[in-house]
Amino acid sequence: MSTRAPILGRFRYGYVAPAALLVAGLLYVPFLWTAYLSFTKYDGLAPPEWVGLRNFGKLLDDPALLTALGNTLIWVVGTMALPVGLGLLVAVLSYDLKGGVWYRVPFMLPYALSGAGLAMVWSPILSHDGIANILLGVDTAFLQKAPHNTIAMLLVWTWQQLGVNTLLFVVGLQSIPKAPIEAARIDGASGWTLFRHVIWPLMAPLTAVVVGLALVASLKTFDIVWVLTQGGPGRNSETLAVTMYKDTFVASDYGYGASVAVMLTVVTGLASFLYLRRQVR
Amino acid sequence: MIRSRVVTLGVAALFLAACGGNTEAPQKKSELSLYNDKGAWSKYFDEMGALSKQQISLGMKPVGYTDSAQYQAFIKASFRTNVKPDLFTWQTGGMLEEIVKQKQVADTSAIWQEAIKAGDLSQDLAPYYTVDGKQYCVPMNVAYWGMFYNKKVFDKYGLQPPTTWDELVKAAETLKKNNVKAFYHTSVLFSFVWFEQLMAGMDPDLYDRLSTGKAKYTDPGVVQVMEKWKQLIDAGYFINPGDKTDPGDVLKNGKAAMVSFGTWFNTSMTQRDLKAGTDYGFFAIPNVNASLPKTSMIFESGPLCSLTKAADPEAGQKYLKWWTTQPAQDKWATTRGDVSANPKVTIKDEALGQVTKDAGGGKYRLVNRYFEATPPPILTAALDGFSKFVTEPGTYKEVLETIQKAADEYWSTHQ
Repeated sequence: MSTRAPILGRFRYGYVAPAALLVAGLLYVPFLWTAYLSFTKYDGLAPPEWVGLRNFGKLLDDPALLTALGNTLIWVVGTMALPVGLGLLVAVLSYDLKGGVWYRVPFMLPYALSGAGLAMVWSPILSHDGIANILLGVDTAFLQKAPHNTIAMLLVWTWQQLGVNTLLFVVGLQSIPKAPIEAARIDGASGWTLFRHVIWPLMAPLTAVVVGLALVASLKTFDIVWVLTQGGPGRNSETLAVTMYKDTFVASDYGYGASVAVMLTVVTGLASFLYLRRQVR
Repeated sequence: MIRSRVVTLGVAALFLAACGGNTEAPQKKSELSLYNDKGAWSKYFDEMGALSKQQISLGMKPVGYTDSAQYQAFIKASFRTNVKPDLFTWQTGGMLEEIVKQKQVADTSAIWQEAIKAGDLSQDLAPYYTVDGKQYCVPMNVAYWGMFYNKKVFDKYGLQPPTTWDELVKAAETLKKNNVKAFYHTSVLFSFVWFEQLMAGMDPDLYDRLSTGKAKYTDPGVVQVMEKWKQLIDAGYFINPGDKTDPGDVLKNGKAAMVSFGTWFNTSMTQRDLKAGTDYGFFAIPNVNASLPKTSMIFESGPLCSLTKAADPEAGQKYLKWWTTQPAQDKWATTRGDVSANPKVTIKDEALGQVTKDAGGGKYRLVNRYFEATPPPILTAALDGFSKFVTEPGTYKEVLETIQKAADEYWSTHQ
């Protein structure tokens, strides 16, 4: 130990430098640059012009942002209820079934698709002249009216995400020590009581990870919405991430777009922090 | 410790050198890259590249984007980096002014003067390309907007291309009675089409004042336009705005009997092997207001530009000059079945040839397309607003107020 420390000490900055420079160059610098832009008026061409808190003041008075916040909330709550909640249900119902793995495989397959690919697959199904309307024999504008369009996209998201959440929960269930469960069964616990008071608390560390990941993923929902509705019609299916993209690259209002980005970062950071703090405690 | 710091500094220096400025002298290029947001036209750009290589020993390769926001962000970013396109397509109006102000777009005044003298470009087109008295870029294309119609559907129900607004509505009514949707419209991007058409056909002066901030979206004339548009939607003449079928297929399949677009839409017909005069036709949309002295026709022209700081700016200028000539424009118009900015080019399609001739002869009042006529921040709000309106026509007043809010904000600093 006494001989290794000085060697590591002599080169430690050298070892870390490439990675540190990459992280700084690709993460910290763009982040700080975006934070700076949020205080400017910038069209992507002329030099940014300092405007102080004006962009943040505009955020408070922007109805599109309010819609985006509402839709993002639907995405967060919906993600907890559907891909996560149903994932848990499928895992609990199938994990000790004989051949349960075959039951879970179909849920896993859609996970192979990227977000944009997923939306491309569902676009002809959900569009007004699409397959869903034909099969159901109805004339519903799945992607036109709010909040139906957000809910329809949430169901598509569930179709894709259910499998991976199920898989994570199954891993969690399989890693639970058998002894406490057996002890509880001997004491007469079964069904819901066994799950609620024994299995669920034992799974807490893994649930924290699954919910935490789903929380962040739902807060930054972008690709599926962008491909299916582009946040419209009007701006009625925008999420915060779509609003950020549209304000920045479609409206070329880079300063305002950056202020939405900063807000999204704060919301995501705060939600993750509060959630994880509660879990760790 | 000193050695480790030296290593760190060395790595940092290498990293910075990799990201650093390019101080190379201009190079001579034999093939130029043409960045564009017309990904579907790659085949036609390739053919132009082959022809230019043959005629001026300068090839061209298209780099096509399909997402215009992504494309514009790339072009804007190129102004600040060394990755600059040799040639690129853009938009006239506010968007052109915006990039010209950066003093990197190559001045093409000499090309314009020469081309006008040679009869390759019309003087009437120059204002669209003029910023502070100088010309920038050359016309990549020009387009007149009118109505493409499915001739087989028209023949089936005994319809003729209308010459008055009443005849157009009557045709729509006949189609409706036979369970055929008359018109195409969409909630994505081209949501402005019927707004500009109705504005131009009801009060083109108001349209011009609106685009220069001298009128408001909440003015009674604009409200009337929205009410007229709503009437047409409520009457059931339009297909669903959320229909994602390509408009070319919509017309081909008779899902809607009429599709209003610029003459460039003829390329979609060519791509589908449809024959003008047999499968489809084109007519100028009559004014709603019959007392206007001339039929209003929406006009657009898209620029092809080069940058002064591109790798080989001379080659860029040479290419733009060639682009305006008759041999180049003959090919560009013929392969796509479109009209041309060069008046010497003979347009093969009879209806499009006639409209070009009539427009050149002053038969129409040419109205700048909404996309170019409207400053970008107002346009963004308007596209979202019209997208909302076509889905929920009852919201027209709220939509106009939202657009006016964006207009107020813009004109408060740009008058």
